[in-house]
Amino acid sequence: MISRTLKHVVLALIVFIWVVPFVSLVATSLRSELASKTSGFWTAFTPTELGHRFSTHDRGLDEPVLSIDGNIFDRINLTEKDFPVSGTVESVLFKGRVADPENPGKTQLIRKLVPPGEAMPVRDGELVFQPNGDYVLTFDEPTLPKPKNLDVFINQDPVFGAAAYEEVLLENEDVPNALIASFIVTIPATIIPITIAAFAAYAFAWMRFPGRDWLFVIVVSLMVVPTQLAFLPILQGFSGIAHWASSLNAWLTDCELSNSCEVASKSYASLWVTHTAFGLPLAIYLLRNYIVGLPRELLESARIDGANHLQIFVRLIVPLSVPALASFSIFQFLWVWNDLIVALYIGPNNGEDLVFPIRLQQQLGTFKDQLHLLNASAVISMIVPVVVFLAMQKYFIRGLLAGSVKGG
Amino acid sequence: MAQLQLKDVNKSFGDVHVIKNVDLEINKGEFVVFVGPSGCGKSTLLRMIAGLETLTSGEISIADRLVMDLPPSKRGIAMVFQSYALYPHMTVYNNMAFSLDLQGFSKSEINERVTEAAKILQMEHLLDRRPAALSGGQRQRVAIGRAIVRDPEVFLFDEPLSNLDAALRHDTRVEISKLHRQLGATTIYVTHDQVEAMTLADKIVVLKAGQVMQVGSPMELFNQPANEFVAGFLGSPKMNFFDGQLAGAADFQGNDVSAQGARLVSTDKSAGDSVKLGVRPQHLVIDEQGVLEGNVTLVERLGTETILELLTPGGTLFRFASAESLDVEVGQDLRFSFDAAQAHIF
Repeated sequence: MISRTLKHVVLALIVFIWVVPFVSLVATSLRSELASKTSGFWTAFTPTELGHRFSTHDRGLDEPVLSIDGNIFDRINLTEKDFPVSGTVESVLFKGRVADPENPGKTQLIRKLVPPGEAMPVRDGELVFQPNGDYVLTFDEPTLPKPKNLDVFINQDPVFGAAAYEEVLLENEDVPNALIASFIVTIPATIIPITIAAFAAYAFAWMRFPGRDWLFVIVVSLMVVPTQLAFLPILQGFSGIAHWASSLNAWLTDCELSNSCEVASKSYASLWVTHTAFGLPLAIYLLRNYIVGLPRELLESARIDGANHLQIFVRLIVPLSVPALASFSIFQFLWVWNDLIVALYIGPNNGEDLVFPIRLQQQLGTFKDQLHLLNASAVISMIVPVVVFLAMQKYFIRGLLAGSVKGG
Repeated sequence: MAQLQLKDVNKSFGDVHVIKNVDLEINKGEFVVFVGPSGCGKSTLLRMIAGLETLTSGEISIADRLVMDLPPSKRGIAMVFQSYALYPHMTVYNNMAFSLDLQGFSKSEINERVTEAAKILQMEHLLDRRPAALSGGQRQRVAIGRAIVRDPEVFLFDEPLSNLDAALRHDTRVEISKLHRQLGATTIYVTHDQVEAMTLADKIVVLKAGQVMQVGSPMELFNQPANEFVAGFLGSPKMNFFDGQLAGAADFQGNDVSAQGARLVSTDKSAGDSVKLGVRPQHLVIDEQGVLEGNVTLVERLGTETILELLTPGGTLFRFASAESLDVEVGQDLRFSFDAAQAHIF
């Protein structure tokens, strides 16, 4: 009983720790630049006091007036279209010269916060405002006042908007390009290894050939080879291939005329190959352990029914291994999607083809303190794996148990 | 000519010799049961006929065709597995159609065959279901249906009832028996349950440690067992055995009991050799003048029959079974007689 409660507490804690950064990212990306710069994301959900500036009226009055009335919120929202301000007006900052009570005939500069209902001098008139934002500016005689900008503190209701997303997605092609590039890299880099691994896993599990067990041991032990260790030889290999391909290109086509013979050594294809190579050992290991757990009699029954290895694989093994295939696909998809280092070393390095993690890393430099934009990009890059995970999570849970329980 | 013939079949797994010189002929339409204790090689023998295991030496022919080098699907056999081995992701219809589809039958022909098999097994209403939505007995029927659609020369059953509960086991046993009569197909059936063997078989093959102990009809095996193993294996409760010496041609002299004119099974025994006398518990009769004395140690009342466990003064355990409900208590001394013609000397 106690251990169960403890388990729940620990679980809740883990969920909390994981969810908070996500909520903060999403919340910040949906706030205005002003709000995200001046207050933490946790204040975004409750009324918060924030400073704004509004002008009392538009320029160019036609004729002298005795009074001007309006609403502070309406005035502010003329410019704040994306994040309309609402709430209650707390105070307006008065900044100006008033008669000095101690030195008659002289004035002094004061700053003070004027609460609602109290008159304050503005452009030789008097301004009175209400908490709901209505204000009246009255004059003793008809005048033509210039607009006055006033700072106002508003206990502001929570407001969210998608302006940051519009900005990163529509005003600049970097993020859309990065999204497309990431998909171009990730989808083949998931499908290719899973396909190869499924065939290999079936062979390791159910086909008899000499050296099978030793080969499997070698494949499994390859899992511990770190990617970084292999960068140099891999790069050398790719540049060799690129060189060879360039020569072939020059020989077969008339590319010399347009000076376009060079074949890039860092390309999407090199990323596919690298991710496939480093994903395969784990994929083969997981799938083999799952497939070997399928009941032997099922395969024997298929053999009696006249199925050959390929038919058994396609019509029996693949449909029955969907949980394992799906769970490895998620692993591989997430890993490739979030990969920075392989893409940096081996992927294409021209601006349009950069994958999302590299783009994000570059945005850290360009956007600097524009947190809402950075966070909007980050959320866009996160949303894809989140959607993939949620869509396949039932397979994922089952797949994690793959092999541990017979028949999964 | 025999429908299925095994000639001098041997099988070794490494150093372990599991099937030893098996010779067997099975005629068309026969229901043959392989029976024996677990590990006797009966399933291995079945799998060798099916082509799932290779032969170390020997010949197997089905319908006058040598099949050792043929894959399972080309041997003209169909197998029903212990775990049914239904394809869990396919409907019942597709489970049954799978083999026909692989053989390239046309859609209409597949449909015809599957529907016909479903009708025979009375499971037309189950065709759209998946195996997970079926009960144990229904799965069993699908497995049999999958065998029927292939229209094989020989049906192979590998302990098909061992996953069912007792009541269903009886029903299915009766059904299999009826089905065999209806189809008239040659059938080999592996079981470790001697009741299944006795009730289903036209011919029983008793196996022990990879060797055929005896082949014959159920009653032949029951009444004239060829050796002590067969005698002890068939029949419930087990046959009683008493140690002693062979006194004459058919006379037995033992510590607990003696008998004249029993059936001498072992031909290589002569007077003076130590032998065993076998008497079935059902063949004992309570008789105050009887030659066999025993002290009751256990009374089992099954309703239909009563089984007593007794100890002779010499310390040999034996059983007595009677259809009557006996008024006996533990500790009581009883005497029994028996008809020597129904006793065997091994």
